[in-house]
Amino acid sequence: MNTNAFWHFLTLQLYKERSKHLSVVGISVMILFLLSSVQFISSSIRFSLEETLKVQPDFVVSRVQGGGSVPTPIEWSDELLDIYGVSKVTPRVYGRYYFAAKEKSFLIVGVDFMEEQSHETLQKLIATTDIKAFLEGKQMLVGQGVKAYLEAHFYKDAYNFLTPSGTFEKVKIFEILPSNSNLIANDMMVMPIDLARRVLGYGEEEVSDITFNVPNPDEWDMMTDKLSALHFDLQVVNKNEVRKSYENLYNYKGGLFLILFIIVLGTFALILYQRYSMVYSTERRHIGLLRALGWSINDVLKLKFMETLMVVFASFILGIFIAYVYVFVLGAPILSEIFLGGQNLQNTVSFVPVFDFSIFTSIFLIYALPFIAAVLIPVWRVSVTDPKEAML
Amino acid sequence: MRSDAVNNEMMIQIENLNRTFEHAGNEVKVLQEINLNIVQGECVVLKGVSGSGKTTLLSLMAGLDKPSSGKVLIEGEPISKLPDAFASELRAKKIGMIFQHFNLLEHLSVSENVTIPLIPSGLKMKEIHQKVNSALKLANINHKKESLASRLSGGEKQRTAIARALVANPDIILCDEPTANLDRDNSLLFIEILKELHALGKTIVVATHDPLFENLSFESTVIPMVDGKIV
Amino acid sequence: MNEVLLSNQVIVYLLSESTLFFLLLVAFIVSLKVLLKWDFESFTPLQFTLEKQAYLVTAIILFVFSMKFLLILYFIFSIDALSLLVPGAMCGAGVIEANDYGSYLLILKLSILFFLTLWLYINRYDMRTKNHKWFKEKSWLFSFIFLLILVELGLDYSYFSNIDTHMPVSCCSALFGQLEGANPLPFGLSITLLLVLFYLLYALVIVTLKTKQTLLYILANILFVYIAYYAVVYFFGTYIYQLPTHKCPFCMLQVEYMYVGYLLWASLFIGTYIGLSDAISTLWLKQSHTRSQKSVTRLLSFFVLLCTTYVAVYYFKNGVLL
Repeated sequence: MNTNAFWHFLTLQLYKERSKHLSVVGISVMILFLLSSVQFISSSIRFSLEETLKVQPDFVVSRVQGGGSVPTPIEWSDELLDIYGVSKVTPRVYGRYYFAAKEKSFLIVGVDFMEEQSHETLQKLIATTDIKAFLEGKQMLVGQGVKAYLEAHFYKDAYNFLTPSGTFEKVKIFEILPSNSNLIANDMMVMPIDLARRVLGYGEEEVSDITFNVPNPDEWDMMTDKLSALHFDLQVVNKNEVRKSYENLYNYKGGLFLILFIIVLGTFALILYQRYSMVYSTERRHIGLLRALGWSINDVLKLKFMETLMVVFASFILGIFIAYVYVFVLGAPILSEIFLGGQNLQNTVSFVPVFDFSIFTSIFLIYALPFIAAVLIPVWRVSVTDPKEAML
Repeated sequence: MRSDAVNNEMMIQIENLNRTFEHAGNEVKVLQEINLNIVQGECVVLKGVSGSGKTTLLSLMAGLDKPSSGKVLIEGEPISKLPDAFASELRAKKIGMIFQHFNLLEHLSVSENVTIPLIPSGLKMKEIHQKVNSALKLANINHKKESLASRLSGGEKQRTAIARALVANPDIILCDEPTANLDRDNSLLFIEILKELHALGKTIVVATHDPLFENLSFESTVIPMVDGKIV
Repeated sequence: MNEVLLSNQVIVYLLSESTLFFLLLVAFIVSLKVLLKWDFESFTPLQFTLEKQAYLVTAIILFVFSMKFLLILYFIFSIDALSLLVPGAMCGAGVIEANDYGSYLLILKLSILFFLTLWLYINRYDMRTKNHKWFKEKSWLFSFIFLLILVELGLDYSYFSNIDTHMPVSCCSALFGQLEGANPLPFGLSITLLLVLFYLLYALVIVTLKTKQTLLYILANILFVYIAYYAVVYFFGTYIYQLPTHKCPFCMLQVEYMYVGYLLWASLFIGTYIGLSDAISTLWLKQSHTRSQKSVTRLLSFFVLLCTTYVAVYYFKNGVLL
């Protein structure tokens, strides 16, 4: 029956009942907008995180005392180098530096510029730097957010770090870190490793932790056991565990949101059911007329069901489009706070559009399925109107 | 009972038809033991006041309502117990209905109204246009093709309803009080159209209490009804 | 709370399954009522109401059916995504085997889709009779399907709540690999014999379909699916992965292999569903549908062609087989 005549008639019917349909579309779009925005933000962050994780070293080893991390002896690197299957052993010096009494903090990353970095991104970040010129004085590379903050506090070219030992270290800003990996680099200050040690208060033989890679994935489980056997106060974390914990965190936030959202959906479904059940006598007469003119119940069901589908699809497309613009063009003001934790600096992250079948299907399933389920019975009820109604 | 050979000519057969309604706990017998045979090409006028059951009889003939007992056969096919898909197909192909209050969809134009019965048929647009146009011409409403139904006069609405009833080229035309909302001139015009349809060989049944139908200029049978029975 | 249950996809999936179940419950209750009081020959208002309610049941089943197809794809996709959370799992295979419910759930889902297809066929024929000839058969079949879906819902929740994200599972190489020299193939077949059987059965299916030997066709097709599963996992799959040791029915559903797994399994199962439904309708209701037979031929041929193509392409590129 899907001829042009049918579609033409369908359009006319939709137009006639436009106030009813538009109000439903309106609420649907709002719901879809909220849902899609959250999904887009969440999957975009996930993607960025995965990209970040990809370039991170496989294992991180540090010393713990009383459950917390403490400076790690640099000699542990030699022990690690001895283990078969380990590559790119890199001691790291980094830490948080707090400005103005716990107000803001930045990440200070110490880099041994003579060595190859096990962290690919770091390697990329400093690849474009003129190392010779950089090492000539006490200088640092800073992220966008840091630069902005320092300028706002009238530090244009340099900053005086107050070290834990009470001395000051004046460090000049050499260059701004490239902003395409903004998620990490934003609040980062990169400086030579010895300088970082002084600023953070580490001893000469101390580092924050030691990273390395294990190219053979089958060896990972074994590696953890081997390492734990080396020292009683040695803690080892591998990339998969980090990935899993991020997954869980986002699942947790996303999951809670969804569960709350389902309550909203339930209310929406009830409203829909009610709205579609309110069939005025004129509509009954019209359906009765169609039936009297030779339309079977199946034909009427098809008509009514198509009306519903049109509403669903229109809302779906509109909702997703608006969410797209909101998240990927406008940067999702307000909502992004919830996901990025709102901590520390204003992350001028622009979300990377990530699309896959799963996101759209998820949104479709969570919206369209309950929608159609809610209106199926009212639509049926009106479709089986007796043709007799036309005679009244 | 007539023989099978004659049965093929029999357009509408009604056997022992009863229709009872439940109203406020009471049973109301609207039709009682109706037996009626209408031959192809015949024009029948069901005459009676309101409440005589003629409208109910008409709706049962059209398959719009279901009897409490008895049979209605259209061209030998018992329509009362057909599943909806079959009954609707029969209605779409064989029966054209004209209602008392015209029953047009006010928000649609004349041609859109006339198209409605053809939509489920799955015909191509070209064919549909052809059929719609010839129906509009036959009913003499072609000139108002694109007008909105809400803007038509009573007579024009009636003619649109006629066009709609004719568009699928049905063999049977059923009219329920067709002139009740028309003035005398338009009523006479309507009867003229009926005459043309009769000449085309259509089987026509009119349920009415309009005295104009008692003496038609073409051959017709007047069947009086009182209190749900044929007298 | 179980981390798996908080995963976005699992929530959406369970919500969808529950909504569909609720609808189906309504349909079931109405269907039972209609079935018990159905008397097509009667003229009572009750009967007319029942006939109208039968339309509701049909509408609900049609909607649920289309959604179930979408949901099984979504289910498989979600399982694959969950492999990130389940230690040791590289693809859906490991996640399915994370507890005892997984494989039963999958098989049940596939069965339900088959029975729904069968119901569609019976419904189609029933609606074309003038007296709803197969109304009762249709209704009893639906009641059976409803019970299966009830079990499915229970399994859904049990399965997902019992996925332990701390216990490592075997990945597909352990599940499907040939450990300790044991032969995983049925009837102790060798790969060569398996392939011979595969192509022979395919030919048998096509022949019995064309010559309308219905009973033989049913047997041939069922056997074909069984053998095809092993053939794909233990032979054709290795050409998709281009690795003789990679044997897995799930990995081919991933993006690295251009999601070809969906095409492969879908063509096999949908072809089988249509074929078997048509065959059973022929035997039971004496009704048949020629277009179905064409579809079956096309789908199963596509499946066989797709499998063979991977082998052929590999051979032409490399001059040897794996």
